[in-house]
Amino acid sequence: MRAMFASRLVWIGIAMLAAGALLPLFASGYVLGLLTVAFYTAVFAMSWDLLFGFAGEVNFGPTFLIGLGAYTAGILDARLSPHISIWLCVAAGAAAAVIGGLLLALPALRLRGPYFGLTTLVAVLLLQSFIVVFAGLTGGEIGLSVPDVMSIDANTNYWIAFGFMAVSGAILFGLSRSAVGLILQASGQDSVQAGALGFNVVKHKLAAFVVSAFFSGLAGALMVFYMGTASVGTFVDIAVGVQVIIAAILGGRRTVVGAAIGAIFLISMGELLRPLGELATLIVSFIALLVILFFPDGLLGILRGGARS
Amino acid sequence: MLFWQILIDGFAISALYALGATGFTLIFGVSGVLNLSHGAIMVAAAVAAWAAAGLLHVNAYVASLIGIAVGIVLAFATYFIAVRPIQQSKRIAESEREIFILTATLLWGIIIQELVAYLYTNNAKTVLPIVEGVVTVFGVRTPSNEFFTAAVCWVVIGLLWLLVNKTRRGKAVLAASMNPRGVTLLGIELSGIYLTVWAVYGLLAGIAGILLGMFLGVSSYSVGPLTASAFSIVVLGGLGSVSGSLIAAYVVGYLETMTAYMISPAYRSVPALLLLIVVMYVRPQGLFGRR
Amino acid sequence: MAPTTLEVSGLTKRFGGLVAVKDLSFVLRGGEILGLIGPNGSGKSTAMKSILGVEPPSEGSVKLDGIELAGLPAYRVARHGVGLVFQHSRPLNRQSVLENIKVALLPDRLTQLVAGADADAKARSIAERVGLGAVLDRKPPTLAFADLRRLELAKAIARHPKLVMIDEPFAGLTMSEVAVFSDLIREFRDEGRAVLLVDHNVKGVAALVDRVLAMYLGEKIAEGTADEVMRDEKVRRVYLGGALGTAARPETAFHDAVPLLQVEGAGVVYGKALALQDVSLHVHEGEFVSVVGLNGAGKTTLFNAVSGLVPYSGAIRWAGESLKSRSAASIACAGIVQCPESRELFGDMSVRENLDLGGNALPDDARAERLEWLFGLFPILENRQAQLARTLSGGEQQMLAIARALMMKPRLLILDEPTLGLAPVILETLSQALEKLRNTTTISVLLGEQNVTFALPHADRVYVLDHARIAWEGPPDRFEEEAAAAYL
Repeated sequence: MRAMFASRLVWIGIAMLAAGALLPLFASGYVLGLLTVAFYTAVFAMSWDLLFGFAGEVNFGPTFLIGLGAYTAGILDARLSPHISIWLCVAAGAAAAVIGGLLLALPALRLRGPYFGLTTLVAVLLLQSFIVVFAGLTGGEIGLSVPDVMSIDANTNYWIAFGFMAVSGAILFGLSRSAVGLILQASGQDSVQAGALGFNVVKHKLAAFVVSAFFSGLAGALMVFYMGTASVGTFVDIAVGVQVIIAAILGGRRTVVGAAIGAIFLISMGELLRPLGELATLIVSFIALLVILFFPDGLLGILRGGARS
Repeated sequence: MLFWQILIDGFAISALYALGATGFTLIFGVSGVLNLSHGAIMVAAAVAAWAAAGLLHVNAYVASLIGIAVGIVLAFATYFIAVRPIQQSKRIAESEREIFILTATLLWGIIIQELVAYLYTNNAKTVLPIVEGVVTVFGVRTPSNEFFTAAVCWVVIGLLWLLVNKTRRGKAVLAASMNPRGVTLLGIELSGIYLTVWAVYGLLAGIAGILLGMFLGVSSYSVGPLTASAFSIVVLGGLGSVSGSLIAAYVVGYLETMTAYMISPAYRSVPALLLLIVVMYVRPQGLFGRR
Repeated sequence: MAPTTLEVSGLTKRFGGLVAVKDLSFVLRGGEILGLIGPNGSGKSTAMKSILGVEPPSEGSVKLDGIELAGLPAYRVARHGVGLVFQHSRPLNRQSVLENIKVALLPDRLTQLVAGADADAKARSIAERVGLGAVLDRKPPTLAFADLRRLELAKAIARHPKLVMIDEPFAGLTMSEVAVFSDLIREFRDEGRAVLLVDHNVKGVAALVDRVLAMYLGEKIAEGTADEVMRDEKVRRVYLGGALGTAARPETAFHDAVPLLQVEGAGVVYGKALALQDVSLHVHEGEFVSVVGLNGAGKTTLFNAVSGLVPYSGAIRWAGESLKSRSAASIACAGIVQCPESRELFGDMSVRENLDLGGNALPDDARAERLEWLFGLFPILENRQAQLARTLSGGEQQMLAIARALMMKPRLLILDEPTLGLAPVILETLSQALEKLRNTTTISVLLGEQNVTFALPHADRVYVLDHARIAWEGPPDRFEEEAAAAYL
């Protein structure tokens, strides 16, 4: 435990949290709203990092899990409100993501090489088609609007998102540094050796997938009740998935904290550059490409100055 | 009537898919790269041709050639910017190279896409067709362009087959896709092989892009779906198998056309996706996959 | 510790049509060290992996203290008390030495959030025991080679396994390190554990083992004490070959001013392991030089250095000019053509296509002519022209590989272990082809082999490569008396 607090990562994380906690004192509703979205995206990215950075499995379709969580929560609320509390919907969303994740991972983890990633990608395409085809239930391409939201106050929403990110981040980071996190890293780096040391690699990777699914789905469900709508473009589209992946790698893979930094960076940059119109995405992608090519350890790697061996 | 319409439209669209997928497979087979900027290169080539015709007022042939040239240039750029630096980077572990290259090609594709959107807006554009007019075949009025598209696709695929199977350079490329070390031992520089492959890829993507532009039109929004469909076809056919891609292209093309005509255009991509799921579970290496 | 018994009976492992281990049976008890010896391809590593379950056995039984292990997944076998040290170190590069050992101590539980109060202390004591006390906080990429091997030992014994299996315990170690490791292994035995060592060199482990089991082509060919096995007829034949005739030409018969190929003080380091150390040899134009050495001695590394496939220190000269800055492909074009151990054929292409690719630098008529000549040398290839390379038998594939290399019109042909895994009948054909080559052409040949019967008859000179160094050089007729004893 002591070793954990001695880690620089933890202090960076704590510093960020402190800054984030003080922000509502002097930031506008607009900035708070932006950061709220960024915080949910941070949880998406951190969940992805647990799977990639630690279990060594590349999930090309994180939006499969996010979308399952978001749409399940949204549809339940749209259909059953006001007889159902939004928190129950959120819980259902998380559960749906976990079940979906299990159904996807059980066969997919048996595949090697690029095929695991491809299967996850196909899952997203399938979810997308499902949503479009069953438009009556899901709102199709137009989107689904949910009657309830968590709060209309920007500050409240900010605190909910911030708190959620902080807690999720702490749990995910703690897991990554725990003994079982070590087993996961062994399984990801060298599954034959991990087996020879007595570890059921498939079991651990599956568990990692489930944890990733839980947090992704939960975050997705919560975000629906922040935005008041669910649509393919915000929760399912491959573009969103791409943003999650880039956020995690850009921030610094295998650090959990890095994924959060990457997400906040990407969303903020995207917003800052919005006046430039279409150039915004271009510039952000360009910066991301430069970081990947020249600083493969991401923003966190740059921050830590590469001093860590 | 409907039967012939499906048959003809399906054939043309499948041929186009086949051409695009062949290039995608070639790059994977030899370079080991799943190029996610594929759709962007195709669209950029088409838009370049459109722009050349519109701004420089050249005729359709010259415009097409310009578009193809752009395709080749962008293919090389992809190799030298997004692929090679990562392959040679000492800071990225062997096992992580693939995901980094994928992310880099993805970002590169987004950059191309956004650049096109910025310079020429998101609006759909059609490339000046080389062949115009309408013919009536089996009672179906079809643009002659469709037949032209299918014909060109197959001619190019045929030429590619000849190149790979009948020329020395082509055989060397094929050998490199099986065993790069073996090729080095025979005194053939791999770097030259890679240049050849990316050039051919650029040519294929460029031609596919131009034809698509003439046939259906493109916009920067087409980029994602184009890459996704090339991807799915190649996975279905088997990564690295060109014959697999050709067959899969036709399976997907016809599934889509039939669905669009007989059920609804909105659902056109669903059956192919379901097929892909089934294949992934039952035979993950695809119909003809080797790796 | 209660006495352990490992009973292996009828262990068989098939990979498709290839039988890697055939009907292997032996008993190993706690307090014993058994050496499983055999050349490359003998099945010894496969047998060991089958016991752990990394490669599940096709047939047969593996019982540890009465519990059947065959068919269980590796992680279950490991939990029954089996530890394995792989031939190549496999540390977790991102974790410290202490953390690497701690992982080995963890139970296989999803809810294991903390390592347990005494895990740290236990890990430290294990580290001290194997001699890693000073480097606990360092990460594997910064460790010396021997320390990496110590780490592997530490991981394997962390949970006090009843059976410890070590693949090539001394590969890459210096003499003093070998002594230290031997002591450690003896300690494991004295604690009552059953120890299984797998190696290709009887002499290397002779001092350490209580018993030896020799394997060849998947089967047991001898069992007994180290001395008994080294004196066994069958074993000697497998390692040393039978009667040897030679046709050596003295060095003065070759008239090049400077030896065609000169290797001076070459050294190659793979990560930490010293694969080649201060090796010097030369080949004259038209000469046939054999490099004899066991697995892991460094032959392949040497050839890869000459062919430009690995970086090296020291000098390698071709007709007087340094090869250092040239790419592998250009070295091949310059006339040094290697036919590697793995053959590197284009499996999905036909025999003819493979050969044509070998002639890629020749104009059509020269290529056709060369093809004719090769079909004369290897008639069976002409018969099988249209067949896909991967459907050929092992011997035919080897002939194709050599023929393809010859299509390049080499001045120096490097052959790396051409006889590996081939039946004796094929060896005869290959031997005849090499003789024809020697007698009818001026091609220089550098042959690397562990099969002395094959390597000596054609050679003008022989080098012995042992543990990355040249141990002996001389004409083949002096080999038996001077070098053979050391070689076995």
